[in-house]
Amino acid sequence: MENTIEIRNVTKKFGDFTAVNDLTLNVPKGSIYGFIGPNGSGKTTTLRMLMNIIYQDTGEINIFGEKYNQTFKDRIGYLPEERGLYKSMKVKEILNFFGRLKNGKNINTEADKWLKKLDLYDWRDEKIETLSKGMGQKIQFIASVISNPELVILDEPFSGLDPVNRDAMKDAVLDLKKIGKTVIFSTHDMDIAEKMCDYVFMIYKGKKVLDGTLDSIKDIYGTDIIKIMSEGGAAVLNDVRNEVKGIENINDYGHVQEIRIEKTCDPQDVLRSLVSKTSVTKFEISKPSLHDIFVRIAKPVAEDGGEVKNVG
Amino acid sequence: MLDKIMTITAREYKATVKTKTFLVSMILVPVMMFAGIIIMKLFEDNVDTNDKNITIIDRSGVVAERLVAIAGERNKNEVYEKKDDGELKKVRPKYIFNIVEPDDSEPDKQRYELSEKVWKKHIFSFVEIGKNVLHPVVSADEGDFSSVIRYYAEGAALDDIRRWLGNPLNNEIRQMRMKEAGIDPAQVTELMRWVSVNGMGLYSVDPQTGEYIEARESSEGEAILAPMAMMMIMFILSILGAQPLLNSTMEEKSQKISEVILGSCSTFDFMMGKIMGGVGASLSAALVYVGGGVIALRYMGRSDLIPLELIPWFFAYATLLITMMGAIMAALGSTCSTAKEAQSLAFPGMIPMIVPMMIWFLIVREPLSNFSVITSLIPPLTPMLMLLRQSTPYHIPAWQPWTGLFGVILFTLFSVWASARIFRIGILSSGKAPKIGTIIKWVFRND
Repeated sequence: MENTIEIRNVTKKFGDFTAVNDLTLNVPKGSIYGFIGPNGSGKTTTLRMLMNIIYQDTGEINIFGEKYNQTFKDRIGYLPEERGLYKSMKVKEILNFFGRLKNGKNINTEADKWLKKLDLYDWRDEKIETLSKGMGQKIQFIASVISNPELVILDEPFSGLDPVNRDAMKDAVLDLKKIGKTVIFSTHDMDIAEKMCDYVFMIYKGKKVLDGTLDSIKDIYGTDIIKIMSEGGAAVLNDVRNEVKGIENINDYGHVQEIRIEKTCDPQDVLRSLVSKTSVTKFEISKPSLHDIFVRIAKPVAEDGGEVKNVG
Repeated sequence: MLDKIMTITAREYKATVKTKTFLVSMILVPVMMFAGIIIMKLFEDNVDTNDKNITIIDRSGVVAERLVAIAGERNKNEVYEKKDDGELKKVRPKYIFNIVEPDDSEPDKQRYELSEKVWKKHIFSFVEIGKNVLHPVVSADEGDFSSVIRYYAEGAALDDIRRWLGNPLNNEIRQMRMKEAGIDPAQVTELMRWVSVNGMGLYSVDPQTGEYIEARESSEGEAILAPMAMMMIMFILSILGAQPLLNSTMEEKSQKISEVILGSCSTFDFMMGKIMGGVGASLSAALVYVGGGVIALRYMGRSDLIPLELIPWFFAYATLLITMMGAIMAALGSTCSTAKEAQSLAFPGMIPMIVPMMIWFLIVREPLSNFSVITSLIPPLTPMLMLLRQSTPYHIPAWQPWTGLFGVILFTLFSVWASARIFRIGILSSGKAPKIGTIIKWVFRND
């Protein structure tokens, strides 16, 4: 499989702080790659190194099969995490500016296409300062893709958007994949990452702790989650926990409870104990969600930086 | 790379010149700079015409009566001017002298009492004529004022009356001395007639006809005003083109625009685009000022005052100065996140413009002195000071402007290089603005 990005043993330090530690990663062409990780884990630093905005201390980054050169910026669309636009410029002016900055072709046609797609066409002659935050974010997204780049890097593109705009942004990202673009985005929204990404990469304290397809990652963690709905709720589960050994964790969502069991624990023992105490309406054995996996790795007790689960 | 720089330049240029601040500054800054001169010119005839009562203590006993008579003549001839419609208009105050007897027993008491009258505005001032003014004696006693005239007033140093008194009093005293010596004053006037020394420029030869071109009379305008105007314009251009880069860079950083742009170009392209936008805005203003100046001088029939040979130097120095200052301002702006931080760095950034403003008069007075040569060859100061020297009537050796220009080009390249290194780190940094020492370390940091 052809890779759009190849990162080899890259390390970046800021003074004594290691932001990215010996990172190796391949991003296949035409895929959607999700970067996840807690705040300050090294996602943005990695993305900035990919954009050559900051330079790695050691290691190598190849993009489009070559070492980085400045002309690549024209082939990469970038939406940074911290983003803003010139408030006094009009929407079309600013899109034109970014399009020309990327040496884009057919800028006006592309601008109109994206403005229509994201329902902003009627605002094309308005100043940026008159737009809502969500509209501004969509304009920033258009600015990053207006030059029709081969690779699109989006740092937290969904943050701060309402559900309607989030769906619009999601559709736009999926449209990019449909036309063969490679998309990388970072997010704290595990639901989005789980539903949209072909591959997920998790970085924690500068180290890669997860990398691969969602299924392959989930396979590693096994089928250790049981979702339960019962009349007794969480209170009864505490009694079950005392009776059945191997229940690691109980997560109470109010109407639903999730328990995580050890490999040695038989789910049938849990069910038997439960029905002897209360009426059970749902008992579903499943793989952990990406959210569960994220929390397991990033919970405060994991001081060692977590275990690398590389299944890519 | 050039395309990207030009795209940023075009945006920066439009953003700068389209603002009301630029347009207003372009008009107001020079008006304010030259306001002092203009106001003085406009109001030079606007004087206090209230009559002035002056008391005379004449210890010599021979001058006061004559002074009263001379003041009377002045009041008759110089206080009123005839307007076009024939009406008389009072344009100066009358000087009304009142003689008092000297109190030789308690002179200090008399002086104090008269001073009190001045404070209470009963009189404007008083004059004390020493008893030996007719025949001054050289005294070893520093407190002996018997051979001088002393003028007492609240603002004696700048007082017009003090200046006026000198002539009639001395004329009168001289006439008295001549009379005593039996000399005819009319004859003396002829003998002592003053011959003035006119300040002239130098002769030159017309290269086409070979004819001598007569030297022109030097004027204060040429000697001081023209160089000052040149330097002021350079200062204004820096204010218009370079200084705004401090705030605009800070705003791009604080409004998170910078990283969006850095996704499309390098930090160097970004910074250079901004600087060139500033240079463009400054040069647009320069064209307006220079063009306006040329048209105004032609209209006034003073085309001879247009320093045509300096115009290429002016534009070369202006371009380099704005580039240099713009680079420094953009670099400093990249280290700031708030307007307050930017404000605190504005002063150190302006030093290359402030120093010439502080020493310009020394340079104009003696443009060929060692001090003038050395300071005008210090690269950050060269654009303003060398141009200042070149715009004086003196002939500056040709090697000096060329050496200065070479030095400025090198220093400008260094400024852009150093600023790009600061800009690259500063524009993505967050938190409190670094100290000057840290900023300098960034220039030489290996990463």
